[in-house]
Amino acid sequence: MKLKSSPYYKALTDPILGNNPINIQMLGICSALAVTVQLNTALVMGLSMTFVTAFSSLIVSSLRKSIPRNIRIIVELFVIATLVILTDQVLKAFLYDISKQLSVFVGLIITNCVVMGRAETYALGNPPLLSFCDGIGNGMGYSLVLVGVAFLRELFGSGSLFGIQVIPEALYAAGYANMGFMLLAPAAFILIGLFVWFQKAVLQGNGKRGLE
Amino acid sequence: MSETRSITFTFCLCLVCSLLLTAAATGLKPRQEANARLDRQKNVLKAAGLLSEGEKLKAPELEARFLRHIRPVSTDREGRPAREDGKNTLSFYLKTDGEGSGVEGYVLPIESRGLWGKIKGFIALEADGITVSGFTVYSHQETPGLGGEIEKNAFQQGFKGKKILDVAGTFRGLVIAKGKASEDPEHAVDGISGATLTGSYLSEGLMQTLKDYEPVSRSFRAKEGSRYLEKETP
Repeated sequence: MKLKSSPYYKALTDPILGNNPINIQMLGICSALAVTVQLNTALVMGLSMTFVTAFSSLIVSSLRKSIPRNIRIIVELFVIATLVILTDQVLKAFLYDISKQLSVFVGLIITNCVVMGRAETYALGNPPLLSFCDGIGNGMGYSLVLVGVAFLRELFGSGSLFGIQVIPEALYAAGYANMGFMLLAPAAFILIGLFVWFQKAVLQGNGKRGLE
Repeated sequence: MSETRSITFTFCLCLVCSLLLTAAATGLKPRQEANARLDRQKNVLKAAGLLSEGEKLKAPELEARFLRHIRPVSTDREGRPAREDGKNTLSFYLKTDGEGSGVEGYVLPIESRGLWGKIKGFIALEADGITVSGFTVYSHQETPGLGGEIEKNAFQQGFKGKKILDVAGTFRGLVIAKGKASEDPEHAVDGISGATLTGSYLSEGLMQTLKDYEPVSRSFRAKEGSRYLEKETP
């Protein structure tokens, strides 16, 4: 069997470039605005999010035959909340500074529609391993957009990447200035808008399909 | 009997989840507390001007610098050595020259009301007992982007050089202005637009702290600050 035609490969890669949770499904925008001022926070947020989505999908999917239908949403929420609190505790113990910067947003992964959406629409109807791949894929799709936005915001807003100054002093001396606007939330809105356009019009060529 | 099944299922899930969380919380607690302590030490150093913005130190170096330059002191309400029972004490930090002989200033802990929760931080004063040399916040629950800006350097830099006494020598304290502090630049700090309430609560908290610690400040003004360095006599 070819790798590319395997369902696992599809579950893993489709949400990254095809059915991206932010650009196409339009989920998880709130945190994408809030934590993308610096690459550090965006990366940690993306990783935490990938961890939570992957394992919540795995757990919900393994339990899917025994979860009573009438309480399934609560059960999903329970699993997600437990994983998020675990992540938060681990971050506080090992990455204290970053966890302080992320403040409430790690806790807010619970309300991030990406996690709940994948558990409800995918994990409940697919086997565990496939759901796990889907979770990782969606988490990575989310992280990719976050890191992309953060890259542009940190580069143009503070002239640095991962906190390291990359724009040389000479350029500032020559009159270059950081774009203060990039540090504000509206800048993330505009960048995400451009990302959405890029994915829909350029990567998928959907711009023309609208005319059919 | 689907109801019984739902209840049993929920119960088991609750049990598993709570066990997991309890294990994680207890297991990671020592590390988290160590981190929180280090973060407080870092903020004391930052307020005292011993750690520049963006300077990154490894945990042991940070602790070493803290132990070298900072000395915790507690006194009673009048600034005399604290009583044994530990009641009614003022605790603060002395900023020393690192040799153990000279005092360069002192750092007071702030615990103020905020809009959503407590704001905790430090304010440092110079050895003259009048001039503010730094301010930091290490814990707060204010709205990110609005009141949360109190943890940013841009706001905290505004405290440098402010005076808590006026020219005549009467106590004025510190106020966070609504917007720019153009009317009273000696005793007011530039506020954050959109965070007037956070500012006024923090003003109250700062005022209270500075008032409480007036006896200490007074002894510094009388050039007696170095007496806190001496070993406390019982």
